[in-house]
Amino acid sequence: MTDPLVIFDVALALAIVALAVAALSVRDLFAMIVLFVVFGLLSALAWVRLSAPDVALAEAAIGAGVTGALLLKTLHHLRYVSGTLGQQAAYGVTPLTPVPIGVTLANAIFCGLITLGLAVAYLGAPAAGPGFDALVAEAMPRSGVDHPVTGVLLNFRAYDTLMEVVVLLAAVVAVWQIERGVSDAPAPVLGEVWQGFARLALPATVVVGTYLLWVGAEAPGGAFQGGAVLAAVGLLLLLTRAYVPQPTHRGIARGAFVLGTGVFALVALLVASGGRVAFEYPLEHAKTLILLIEGMVTISIAVTLAALFHGREPVAQTKGGRDDT
Amino acid sequence: MNTFLSLTLIALLLSILAGLIRVFRGPAPAERMLAAQLFGTAAVAILLVLSQLMQMPALLDVAMVFALLAAVTLVGFVVLASRGVR
Repeated sequence: MTDPLVIFDVALALAIVALAVAALSVRDLFAMIVLFVVFGLLSALAWVRLSAPDVALAEAAIGAGVTGALLLKTLHHLRYVSGTLGQQAAYGVTPLTPVPIGVTLANAIFCGLITLGLAVAYLGAPAAGPGFDALVAEAMPRSGVDHPVTGVLLNFRAYDTLMEVVVLLAAVVAVWQIERGVSDAPAPVLGEVWQGFARLALPATVVVGTYLLWVGAEAPGGAFQGGAVLAAVGLLLLLTRAYVPQPTHRGIARGAFVLGTGVFALVALLVASGGRVAFEYPLEHAKTLILLIEGMVTISIAVTLAALFHGREPVAQTKGGRDDT
Repeated sequence: MNTFLSLTLIALLLSILAGLIRVFRGPAPAERMLAAQLFGTAAVAILLVLSQLMQMPALLDVAMVFALLAAVTLVGFVVLASRGVR
């Protein structure tokens, strides 16, 4: 008799492919977003079945929380703020403005290059074999942490992780270059349900985000997962206008954006100045340094994601002022 | 016992797939959104069963994150679907 778990796996895999096709082909933009969120949810389950709980945790935090809200905000912006999609066509079949052929072509070329790169990487990898498991397991006692994934991300391959943090920083710099301004729209009336939800969910979310950061040293978790969960706190505060970004808060925000990258790079430089290779942490301080980097990166990720969700640099607009240039 | 848990998993996954009909057909955004929210609950249940079946206690954390964050999308929907608000 076949293991029923195999049936579950096959059904899950088929459902993910079907959802991907559906999300790309459905006409209604709102349905597209919902399908994409469900796609992320099933992907997280697939990562679990592949015994990769770290990736599942990241997918759950980013897919279930941040991405859905980000896409909803984008759709809202297109419909009601920038008016790109027209006010009249709300929630029906939305007529899409035709995309210039050059943009489509450029997108196709970039996607093709990424696919090509993945194919090259896949074909170049050894077809079978133990992979790097043995190497990592052997080096773990020198990493300062007990969880192999954290050991690889923050110690053995810390350079890659630094680059990922820089990507987020670059994204928020680009967004703040493109759009500026403050909104004086009134707070949405959400009533008692929201109040009750906020009282229960916000403290719990803060605790869970911090817990994920801390537990990353010995179990699945870490800076990206914790940061994404904490970003959800920022999202909720922004959505309900419990916090409205002010021009005077830009300095603090900028500091938070750079904090992760800065501390990460600084630790690398200090380690390198002691006659070692950058990121070759001295063993007796390894855990402290890793936790320091992870803590700062978590703050950066949470603030950056929330700022990306808000989408505008809060600058007081003066009519015809220099901000218009 | 494992067979029973596996069958439970299949039933839960089928409940998600059945709910997809509502996501496709809508017609109102709220219907699509609430269907997706129910999937979040089903996913939590699947993760709890899987943590038992795969002997992976870390999956409880994943379930916790799902349970906490599914509501963020919903709050986003409620706030952003009301038109005047920016």
